[in-house]
Amino acid sequence: MAEKKKWLQNSALLSISAASLLAFLLLWELICRSGAIDPVFLPAPSQVLGRALRMWDQNSLIANIAASGRRVMVGFFAAVVVAIPLGIMLGTSRVARAVLDPILSFLRPLPSMSWIPLTLLWFGITETQKYSIVFMGSVTPALLYVIEATQGIDPILIRAARNLGANRWQVMREVILPGCMPQILSGMKVILGLSWTCVISAELVAAKEGLGFMIMNGKEFFQTDTVVLGMVLISFTVLITDMVFRLIQRSVLSWQQ
Amino acid sequence: MNETRRRVMKQAATLAAAGSMGFPILSRAAGATVINYGGSAWLGHYSAYIAMKTGMMAKQNIDLRWQAFSTSSARMAAVMAGNVDIAGTGVVSALALMASGARQFQLIATPNNFGKAEGLLVRDGVNSINDLKGKKIGVTYASSSHVLLLDILAQAKIDPDKDVAVINLPATELLSAYRANQVDAAVAWTPTFNRIRALPGTKVLLDDSAFSLYKSYKMSPGPDVLLTRTAFAKDNRDAVKGFLIAIFEANAFMTKKPEEAAKMLMELTSLTYEEQLSTIKQTEWFSQADQRALMDNPGDFVVGLQKLSEMLLKLKQIDSVPQVRQWVNATYL
Repeated sequence: MAEKKKWLQNSALLSISAASLLAFLLLWELICRSGAIDPVFLPAPSQVLGRALRMWDQNSLIANIAASGRRVMVGFFAAVVVAIPLGIMLGTSRVARAVLDPILSFLRPLPSMSWIPLTLLWFGITETQKYSIVFMGSVTPALLYVIEATQGIDPILIRAARNLGANRWQVMREVILPGCMPQILSGMKVILGLSWTCVISAELVAAKEGLGFMIMNGKEFFQTDTVVLGMVLISFTVLITDMVFRLIQRSVLSWQQ
Repeated sequence: MNETRRRVMKQAATLAAAGSMGFPILSRAAGATVINYGGSAWLGHYSAYIAMKTGMMAKQNIDLRWQAFSTSSARMAAVMAGNVDIAGTGVVSALALMASGARQFQLIATPNNFGKAEGLLVRDGVNSINDLKGKKIGVTYASSSHVLLLDILAQAKIDPDKDVAVINLPATELLSAYRANQVDAAVAWTPTFNRIRALPGTKVLLDDSAFSLYKSYKMSPGPDVLLTRTAFAKDNRDAVKGFLIAIFEANAFMTKKPEEAAKMLMELTSLTYEEQLSTIKQTEWFSQADQRALMDNPGDFVVGLQKLSEMLLKLKQIDSVPQVRQWVNATYL
């Protein structure tokens, strides 16, 4: 009974969200069709849809999504692989923090775009260069999330485990890792979104496909429908990856529920 | 007396500071019409730069404010947003906007014809376009150089997606990518064109004269046009006319005194004196008298532009072919 009530509530909320989205699109379409806004400045949703269908026919829509998706995933996972162990180490060792803090402080404010000239020299005009831009834009914030999550563990829990005879490895495995994992996973979800913004920088130079390239090329030819389509696709892809991430989070942290 | 002098000095200092900070009303000459001009180091803007530096604009009672943009599309976006009143641009960006139906600007003149300031640069050993098969060619997408490359590849029946690797590089990155051997060839326009050409073991394989429309219409892939914001021109008709008078006066100056012009332009382009002089000399600088034949009824240049837009559609660069004539206004000449 309670479950059915919850299902009904969820369905009602979903319907409200869908109606709100539809109303927004309808209003947008009406404003554009009324001629109040020049289509060069803002295309109507129907125009954006038309562009999507044309690109679908030319097989370029999926190719662009796949190219950006691959760059984001490689750069993001490389950042995660580096950030989680390093972040836990920095979160638990004051000496390691003293060593790496100045470097992190230097890297933290650098936008992904600022890495373009150097990565071009290091890796040339290759895919590795694009992965590296996403990596450099994601790794420092990911590290900071992990450090903060590790430092957020209640010290009483660590002390209690030690009093019960746990060694360093056991404290790490039984207390620190399970304790900080929920926050790390939440942080990674944010970082994944950030990686999508980095891919736009990565595709500014020497790219032939990708959503960032699509937006930039559309901008050059004043095809604002292509620009808006690229933006919508980025949001849509982030939304889907977010849902996948939530599923992973739920299965990894099933004990939490 | 001292107090009055102090007050006057204070006011003068305030005005000077305001001028340096860019407050237009305080710093401009009395009565002059302010024109925000969108330019760059490309040769299409030499005329406006010379006219501004030599006082030809001031003579027309125009206070020309130079605003630099690295791409034509950025400049055109500023025109659309109302931040630039008159601009010089490669016509590809303007045609793209025309294809979208934008009516916020009018083409008012074409300042020059160039054929040797843009081209395909290769290393020694490459002797024909066919030698580039399987090689990487760097070019700025959505530029006149891109159109040139697509056209010369099409003429040689080379598939740009399969037979060569066309790499999209901003103009600022082309030189370093070529120098670092990341690309085997580059298509560029001046001043990047001159800088790559000056590298040892590099030569020009083809220039704009290889472009198919150049052969029949003397039309380069991205000819320069001068355009004005429609709303600005409506309120400042005389200023637009004056601007064009100054432009063609500057063109005459470059034709008659290229050495003097080269010295002035080096500040804008950072080219060497020899490079600058040769760029000026190898460009045809139109006079006001030339413009009628080029722009009016229907004008050879306008006919060429129409052909160019048809080609851009074929090359999948724009979605539809605009009727270029509808954007041309030769009445300011």
